[in-house]
Amino acid sequence: MSTLFYLSSLVAIVATLMVITRYHPIHALLYLVVSFLAVAMIFLSLGAPFVAVLEVIIYAGAIMVLFIFVVMMLNLDKDTALQEKQWLRPRVWVGPALLTLVLLLEIGVLLVRGDLPALQLAVVTPRQVALSLYGEYLIAVELAGFLLMAGIVGAAHIGKHKKESLHRFLREETDAHEASAGDAREVHTGDGEGIPEKERKTWQL
Amino acid sequence: MNELQFQALLPFIVLAAASILVILSIAFGRSHTFIQVAGFGMMCLVVLAMWLVRDALPREIAPLLVVDGLGALFTGLIIFSVLVIGLLSFIYFEEREENPKEYYILLFLATLGSAVLTISRHFISLFIGLELLSVSLYALIAYLRTRNNAVEAGMKYLMLAALSSAFLLFGMALIYLETGSMEFTGIARGLPSSGTPILFIMGMGFLLVAIGFKLALAPFHLWAADVYQGAPSPVTVFIATVSKTGVFAVLLRFAQAVHLQQYPAAMTIVVVISVASMIVGNLLALQQQNIKRLLAYSSIAHFGYLLVAFLPGDAAGAEAGFFYLLAYSITLLSAFGVITLLSTRQEDAGDLSGYRGLFWRDPVMGAVLAVALLSLAGIPLTAGFLGKFLVLGAGIGRQLWVPVIVLVLTSVIGLYFYLRVISTLFEKMPPAPARARPLHPFFYYATYAVLILLMGLSFWLGTFPRPAIREIEALLNIRLL
Repeated sequence: MSTLFYLSSLVAIVATLMVITRYHPIHALLYLVVSFLAVAMIFLSLGAPFVAVLEVIIYAGAIMVLFIFVVMMLNLDKDTALQEKQWLRPRVWVGPALLTLVLLLEIGVLLVRGDLPALQLAVVTPRQVALSLYGEYLIAVELAGFLLMAGIVGAAHIGKHKKESLHRFLREETDAHEASAGDAREVHTGDGEGIPEKERKTWQL
Repeated sequence: MNELQFQALLPFIVLAAASILVILSIAFGRSHTFIQVAGFGMMCLVVLAMWLVRDALPREIAPLLVVDGLGALFTGLIIFSVLVIGLLSFIYFEEREENPKEYYILLFLATLGSAVLTISRHFISLFIGLELLSVSLYALIAYLRTRNNAVEAGMKYLMLAALSSAFLLFGMALIYLETGSMEFTGIARGLPSSGTPILFIMGMGFLLVAIGFKLALAPFHLWAADVYQGAPSPVTVFIATVSKTGVFAVLLRFAQAVHLQQYPAAMTIVVVISVASMIVGNLLALQQQNIKRLLAYSSIAHFGYLLVAFLPGDAAGAEAGFFYLLAYSITLLSAFGVITLLSTRQEDAGDLSGYRGLFWRDPVMGAVLAVALLSLAGIPLTAGFLGKFLVLGAGIGRQLWVPVIVLVLTSVIGLYFYLRVISTLFEKMPPAPARARPLHPFFYYATYAVLILLMGLSFWLGTFPRPAIREIEALLNIRLL
């Protein structure tokens, strides 16, 4: 069991180092997922199966998927579609895949040989976690709720857009109008280049 | 939780309810004025609740919190500061931001975080309180998101606060490794009775990094000037008073619980940080032309002085420390009150040239700012002088000669730049720009009245401190042991 612990610790360290040295957010996020999985494995080997499961479901699952969604949704046009294809070349995903393979092998070993000598640790069951969270640490749970509220209110305020920019196509239109007021010959700029005025209007609708 | 514990927690529950009340008022489309008045009322309710539960103290809410005299005292100071900050905020945000209402949610949540710090006796409540404070502050600092300065300041604070949280957690983990407990009293029991517990001292070092960041002490002070300058003025004064009060309270409680003073290694770290803060803060402030940056550097120095009161670790030290914080909070609240009133829609009144001849333009504001600066410099008759006097007394009582001598010498340097600002206030008046009529006369004059009140309070604490000190002493004695 301790071999598994050190192996997954190594995976976690390597993956985290890769996270902070990648230039591209998507590459960093892929390694971050691996890092979370490795940390889950560490928790499992230390006798905390419940935290391990939470680590996978919440961090590697929900939060990372949200991150990747946001990065993918930010700029939607043909260029980025092409770019996204480039991101997923084998050179990019083979590193995280190898590291995950190590973790998978560890799980395999655990499944095949369930009688490994355990580390000298008490196993914390979900029941114990629930009892302490909703028993003596109840105030901490409630304060964590307020912490989330602070985060949400703050993010909502900082991220709020002004009301006039309803949609990016509409804003482009106003930009184009301003440009045409300045110079009548160059009406179309940016994405709408080469599209007749009438067709462009319908496209915007 | 039984009834008595619930009763002891009542002020904090009311404080938490204040932020919910603000959210509900926003949801029902209430005006900014309504929220301001409701928030003020809630803070008054908190004070009332504290008054009601004073006989139920001290009370332990195991394992996380303990409401005792120290917690009540520091929470009282926090609520007092927030009452004034709330008033300053109305004019400031009403004229500058299209939705000023969410500000109050964040303000009250940050206050709650700070108040939780003052009563925590466990690493978990310490960490959650600190995070509640920091997360609210990220958004508060960058609240005026159209200003580049504000966003930059928020970003800087975010990065450094996140880093310091990592240090804090690592320090806690090391201490837990050594002692097997996260409760302050449990840590004290878990420490070996003889010898130097290496892991504990290392963990303590990491903890001091995080706390040094929050208090803007010397090697960790780099964020202070930029954040003070970039943040909206009411938020700046919140960082300078409320957040630092909470962090200092928890530091004091932790040190008392584990008897930190018996570990020479840990105390050496504190002495070095304290001396470095006093020197660095005063030297950097010398040539400042921006009053918000100047107050930032002076706050670095002042928390260096405050650590001198922390060093002895006895009753006199705690008393001096609280009195010093009280004097400092009153002073900064009045100084930033003047800055807030003088700020224009476009930018905060930071540049020193804007203060030339302020006394002749507006004698009341000039006088308030001059008294605040004199109090910061530690001139007799003001609260700042007495605070410094008590701190020196506590230091000399334990023969801490090095920090005490540095304190006296750096105070002399400090005198130079405070007097430079004061002389600017009294310079010949330039042709005064026509003052626009205040947009919100009621709140404008209310702020004015509060500033005069704060000035009076500063004089009162400076000339007739006996009742206040006696009260502080009595409250600090209400504790479990």
